[in-house]
Amino acid sequence: MSRIEDVFLKIGSIDRRWIFLIIAAVVIVPLLFPIGLPIRATATTKHVYDAIERLPAGSNVLLSVEYSPSTRPENHPMTISILRHLFRNNHKVFITCLWPDGQFMAQDALNQVAKNEFNKVYGEDYVFLGFRPGNEAVVKGIVSNIRKIYTVDVYQKKIDEIPLMKGINNFKDFDFLFSSSAGFPGTIEWVQYASDPTGVPMASGVTSIQVNEVMPYVQAGQMVGVLAGMPGAAEYESLINQKGSATSGMDAQSVAHLVIVLFIILGNISFFIERKRSKKY
Amino acid sequence: MDFSTILGAWLSVFLTFGVFSYLYKDNPFYKIAEHLFVGLSAGYWTAIFFWTQIQPNLFGRLFPAKVYDSDNPTPFIYDILNFISSSVFPEGGIDKGHDQYFSYLIPLALGIMMLLSIIPSLSWFARWGIAYTVGMAAGLRAYGYLNSNVIGQIKGTAVNVFDFNLPFFALSEPSIFNNLIILVGTICGLLYFYFSKEHTGILGKASKIGIYFLMISFGASFGFAVMGRISLLIGRFNDLIKFSSTEYHHATFWVLLAMVAILGYATYQDKINNPQIVESAGQDLVQEEE
Repeated sequence: MSRIEDVFLKIGSIDRRWIFLIIAAVVIVPLLFPIGLPIRATATTKHVYDAIERLPAGSNVLLSVEYSPSTRPENHPMTISILRHLFRNNHKVFITCLWPDGQFMAQDALNQVAKNEFNKVYGEDYVFLGFRPGNEAVVKGIVSNIRKIYTVDVYQKKIDEIPLMKGINNFKDFDFLFSSSAGFPGTIEWVQYASDPTGVPMASGVTSIQVNEVMPYVQAGQMVGVLAGMPGAAEYESLINQKGSATSGMDAQSVAHLVIVLFIILGNISFFIERKRSKKY
Repeated sequence: MDFSTILGAWLSVFLTFGVFSYLYKDNPFYKIAEHLFVGLSAGYWTAIFFWTQIQPNLFGRLFPAKVYDSDNPTPFIYDILNFISSSVFPEGGIDKGHDQYFSYLIPLALGIMMLLSIIPSLSWFARWGIAYTVGMAAGLRAYGYLNSNVIGQIKGTAVNVFDFNLPFFALSEPSIFNNLIILVGTICGLLYFYFSKEHTGILGKASKIGIYFLMISFGASFGFAVMGRISLLIGRFNDLIKFSSTEYHHATFWVLLAMVAILGYATYQDKINNPQIVESAGQDLVQEEE
């Protein structure tokens, strides 16, 4: 018994750089040799999909991009899948950014989906309004008068000269909002200053870290649904039947989680053995 | 593939491994990546803020092109500004579709006051700008939080516990069981933060249940945090795998090899010169975390 305990104690005091190496290995191997674990959409993801499906064709949808390259693996697949779904259903898409880097993320997604996949016409099918600094003040501005915040689009074209902007004056002129968010300012500000005061339905795609913060809004009915981190993105990819980078990362995600759980169990066993022995002496 | 794309890939690989190398120990590769990130971020944000806010929305409202023509030429001060920088102050005014608002001189003055904080004798001016920002943000947020986080959340927890149209149990959809959990969790969680009475008897038991709910919430937060970090790691590894192909001249392998060789050699040299430092390298990391 004592020998087994010694083994656990040795595992508990292992140099943590070995743990980093093991995590790296269990993430890389499934990326190189996919297992193909099944992906089942959770209720919160399904609600986002259903809400967009229910919108009548030609609805005005505001897509706000609030993330930077640092959270690209989580947020970008969501943005791409949502854009695919919106363009497939012939909705009109208006893109804003509360983060400066969001502008480049949105441009990348638009190049891939709007231009290459759907051949959508700029100014008629979608408008890229771009970034404005000011955090929640920008959201408040869009709610009261979007034309005061945006007089020109991201390409410096005047808003009044863009056909799609005809009749768009404030947030109530949109039928739906999707916020692809990695923190402040983002989803929470859209709920507080836009969706709640106006009643325009909204959904969000957030990083895993934000899920616990955002989930109460979903449970309370203040948001339609939420795509929770990379698994949420993968679930949405499976719902629209177009697999992408999130789906391919899910095998690695699952295996890494199993290994981390194993480490937590081993660490706890080692901790309790150590505590028991220190009490003895 | 063009040269700039390949160079970008090599840089990306170098910076990724540079940051990862910190997991082994603090080293110059990590320092390069860290300093580059801080410097580039500061420069990038400054440029973006200037060209998306200050130039179009502040200067664009003070000197809008639509008010100037041959009969009403730009003022003398604008001509001087145009002489200094014609890209910021183009000839004939700034054409961003704004009308002229002289009230925007107030934010301009407040902004200049903020910058005066770098001059010690005039630094008190910065308080005015900060006071405005704090006051505006506090007022704006008070409304948002009251409406969405207080009233909205109270509405969300006001559920009909015994709604017999709902199933008794459902995993994530509304059910009688889930409504009971919401009710008990909310009340017990709030009671835990009630400090006007000693937590004994029924209050003690309820607050203990509240702690369990809070612990489950913290556990879920930790789980999501782990999931988020693994997702980001997957993103970096996907790029590293992509850049290891022949298209990018096997950037991943060469950079990894070079970095491991240099770090290995440096560690070997350290070991010869000062063996104690090398032995304590792993311990330093643990202590930093603590």
